[in-house]
Amino acid sequence: MSGYLYEKDLSSMKYAILTSTRHDRMVREIADDLGIPQLRLRRYIMDQFDMLLMENLPARYEQGKRLTAEAPAAERDLKTHLYSRAVPLIQEEQMECIFSRVKEMMENGMPEKEAVSAGRRLIREAILA
Amino acid sequence: MKRTVDVSIPVGPVHPCWKEPARVKCETKGEYVLSAEVELGYMKKGIERIMRGRPWQEVMFLAERVCGICSVIHNMVFIEALEAISSIPVPDRAALLRVVVNELDRMQSHILANFSYCYTIEHETLGMYLLDVREKVMDELERITGARVTCAYIVPGGVRFDLRAEDALHLRANLAAIEEEITRYMGMFENGPLIALRSREIGILTREAAQEACAVGPTARASGMPETDRRLRHPTYQKLGFTPVSREEGDNYARIMMRFQEVLQSIALIRMCLDSLPEGPIRGGGIPGAGEIAYSGEAPRGELSYFIKTDAAGRVLDIAIQTPSIMNIEACCHYMLKGVASLADVPSTFVSSDPCIACTER
Repeated sequence: MSGYLYEKDLSSMKYAILTSTRHDRMVREIADDLGIPQLRLRRYIMDQFDMLLMENLPARYEQGKRLTAEAPAAERDLKTHLYSRAVPLIQEEQMECIFSRVKEMMENGMPEKEAVSAGRRLIREAILA
Repeated sequence: MKRTVDVSIPVGPVHPCWKEPARVKCETKGEYVLSAEVELGYMKKGIERIMRGRPWQEVMFLAERVCGICSVIHNMVFIEALEAISSIPVPDRAALLRVVVNELDRMQSHILANFSYCYTIEHETLGMYLLDVREKVMDELERITGARVTCAYIVPGGVRFDLRAEDALHLRANLAAIEEEITRYMGMFENGPLIALRSREIGILTREAAQEACAVGPTARASGMPETDRRLRHPTYQKLGFTPVSREEGDNYARIMMRFQEVLQSIALIRMCLDSLPEGPIRGGGIPGAGEIAYSGEAPRGELSYFIKTDAAGRVLDIAIQTPSIMNIEACCHYMLKGVASLADVPSTFVSSDPCIACTER
């Protein structure tokens, strides 16, 4: 495998960004919301995002929460926009797939709360996979 | 037969057209840029950590050292946050003098950003003209505050120095000269056919993308988002009847023209301040106390936010700074650079978003 001679391991710097006051608050909120261990979520974000996206996460998160609050009920509860566009923890196609499964469950008579909860489990599985 | 291969081309960390180090890794297909990601960490200061536990009198000086280009607004937002925590009033004369100095700072920052852009697209003549005008603005800053960069002009309850009558006259004369020159250079930029080739319809940031990346400042206003201007919510600017300017194109050209327009707007604001400057004290006094606040102001590059927690002695217990460049560089690298037709347009598109790495790596 080829690589740059001057490629650096950015883990420690990415970790420093994630442990700053606002980032830490955001990570804790997302981890609580999705039921993921904080350490796993931090590791995931460090692996998936470049440094600039990481720096901008609190602003995107706050903006995402505002936009999510205006979304229709099921999307709002599942936080589709928040977790696929504002804080892109999973890809949009994956989120669309999860959301269509949630809709299908609701159409088959499952109560909305349970369907959303199942959707969240799918999001969690996608992140932890 | 010529083959097209996917390659990752690093631009930076040291690049002749960039003022500060950052590494943009571009995934390309031939000349076409598919995506870009950014590596930082070449000049991390850890200034928030240095600030924690220190008294406000020390943090005030550290705040303006976050960025050398827009130091006045860091000073202003930090002090106004402390004033908001402790309900410290500011005399009218001091409030207007703050606007004068802040707008001078915005002018020099915008002119420097446009110089960098002209230099990047190889229009060095216009770039040098702009640097020459910037010196006039820097001279005025120095005349009023006593320093060119780290002025520490704004203090709780007022400002440090009054504006003398002869300095006001000098400022008016210089503003007239700057206005004339900037109008001329704007015309050169607007009508230059080669400038248009390198700038129009390149690095487009749509309004939706700007919203998603939380873009702020001239970068967002060039994509049709005038509501992002924090000056709309500042009491002194509200009294002056401030209305932001904006454009719709969202390309490199729009971002540069936006800054030219804002320089002229700043000149008008300073004139309004000078016309309505009342007699009276410039410092009302007041000591910062305990509290917690999130406070924002409009820096030259956009919304600058300070999240501060202080104790009864005014010591800063916790602080987080969100600088506009964080949002704007992200918007640039993840939205503007995506789909740029030629790798040669990467540096100019990057520079058009007025990236400040010192702010980003505060």
